[in-house]
Amino acid sequence: MSDPTEPTDSKPKAPDAAPAYYDVPQPDGLNTAQERAYFPAIFKGIGVASKHFFRNFFLGRDPNVEVLDRKGGNRITTVQYPEEKPIYPPGYRGMHRLVPREDGKPRCVACYMCATICPAQCIYIEAGEYPDDPIEKYPIRFEIDELRCVVCGLCVEACPKDAIRMDTGTHCKPVYDRKDIVYGIDRLLTGTAVSHESDVWFKRDTSDPPPDEGAHPTPPLPIAK
Amino acid sequence: MILATLLTLAERKWSAAIQNRMGPNRAQIFGQTFGGVFHVVADALKMLTKEDVVPADASWLLFSLAPAFNFAPIFCLFAIVPMGPAVVMGHGFAVTPQIANPDVGLLYVFGIASLAVYGVSLAGWASGNKLALLGGVRAAAQMISYEVALGLGLVGMMMAAGTLRLDQMVDMQTKHLFGIGALPAWGIFLQPVGFVLFFAAAFAETKRAPFDLPEGESEIIGYFLEYSGMKFGTFMIAEFVEVVTLAGILTAIFFGGYHLGFFGLDEHLHDAVASVVQSRFASNPAVIEPSIALTMAIFGATIFALKIILLCWLQLVIRWTFPRFRYDQIQWLGWRILLPIGLVNVFVTGLCLLLDASLDLLAGVGMVEIAVCVGLALWQKAPGPARAKPAAAH
Repeated sequence: MSDPTEPTDSKPKAPDAAPAYYDVPQPDGLNTAQERAYFPAIFKGIGVASKHFFRNFFLGRDPNVEVLDRKGGNRITTVQYPEEKPIYPPGYRGMHRLVPREDGKPRCVACYMCATICPAQCIYIEAGEYPDDPIEKYPIRFEIDELRCVVCGLCVEACPKDAIRMDTGTHCKPVYDRKDIVYGIDRLLTGTAVSHESDVWFKRDTSDPPPDEGAHPTPPLPIAK
Repeated sequence: MILATLLTLAERKWSAAIQNRMGPNRAQIFGQTFGGVFHVVADALKMLTKEDVVPADASWLLFSLAPAFNFAPIFCLFAIVPMGPAVVMGHGFAVTPQIANPDVGLLYVFGIASLAVYGVSLAGWASGNKLALLGGVRAAAQMISYEVALGLGLVGMMMAAGTLRLDQMVDMQTKHLFGIGALPAWGIFLQPVGFVLFFAAAFAETKRAPFDLPEGESEIIGYFLEYSGMKFGTFMIAEFVEVVTLAGILTAIFFGGYHLGFFGLDEHLHDAVASVVQSRFASNPAVIEPSIALTMAIFGATIFALKIILLCWLQLVIRWTFPRFRYDQIQWLGWRILLPIGLVNVFVTGLCLLLDASLDLLAGVGMVEIAVCVGLALWQKAPGPARAKPAAAH
């Protein structure tokens, strides 16, 4: 979009009056002769190509998957994926898992925090209630659509119970059917069990309300003036 | 033909090596890939089983004939390539590993090579597709333009050899230059300019990169746009056969054919073979001479095959080194650069032959030409005063 009020040159500029920023260094006489003769450059090009050829065709390839650490003259950087798998970097977290308790049930209390914060809305939870347990709720269904998941890790941060973690170090496996990539509890509930001192089942063993709850009624909310 | 088939694989594997890739390596039988050889089979199977689509607007007969028109001349060309020395069997019956040996020799090459234009332009025209027609016209214009340089590149060599027959040209190159045994009178030493001209022009005739404008598979659509299945495969194979044929002709004309040449190696080889054969067949002197000839023919054919493979490799490297020319650059190169150089080369060659019929002067001039080229390539100017650095931005 040119400004119509801007004064424009009526005469086209002479080609030799190039602006200063076009004043790149030009090759001097010999370079020009070399370039005009074409063949030096052609030979150099063939030399470069054949250097690569001989190096890659006759020198053995180091199967080390760490491309930068490969030894030898062979410069092929391909990693033959199904046979050779690249090593994940140390910071890699990987797919989710539902953390189990010591008794094998999920730590999850079906609070919907993860499903709420999930920007991709890939978590589906159906809550159920234990009839007689210090933890009242548990997920009947806990499904993550791994195709939708953007692996942002917000669910892990949102979880108040340390019930969902991204520490498996694996990635999502390819499937042939979309249904197969919706992971349920059966596939998500893996890995080592985790328990914390603060876990509620260490504090009390029934689902009765704490005995002193009535002695300390909730203080009234301060009223804004 | 087998070499051309293998070249389809070699093109993929070698280009992969040039570009730091792996190349095709998945086709396997019983878990063995053998360097990807089975991809040739897989390619052929794929081509043969694909649907053969003929466009509704196409002229069916010409559309089907065009691949053959493209294919046949190139195969005919290989007929006159001498692949080994003649073997005289008993009763004066000579077997030459050369299918046809017409006296017109190289003229046959030019004549048949220009026939390939018909296949290309027919393919473009019969497809009933405007883009294919444009591609065909482009290809025809390019091929016809480079016929001139193709011919002129070889004129010097014809003058030096004094013959058009390829087998005589090969034998001519067993002469030694400068009266010493080190250097054979190979065409590349006599006619380096002619070699470059012919090589460039023939490259344009093969329609391979950097002259692959007629095809330009992905960007500017070429003449075989409408072809599918094995008809397309025929075009592709023809291209590779062209590479092999070009390598064969180059070997015969510029690289001493089936002779080793350097340092009298041919004579040493002949003596070694003769002594071995004579010691083995001492009881039957009648078979000694044919046996020597046969062994030498086998060696000669091997040498020839090795040279051909080397030249095919060179062509593939060039194909994977250079970007495609623009179309006006192609015509510029053909008419404004190759043609004048070719004419000058013919005159210089004639002058040299007039002054010194023993080829030594011609070879000397050729050496100077090679030296100038190598010198230009290697000469780095001493670094001059460093240019003033641009002022640092504030």
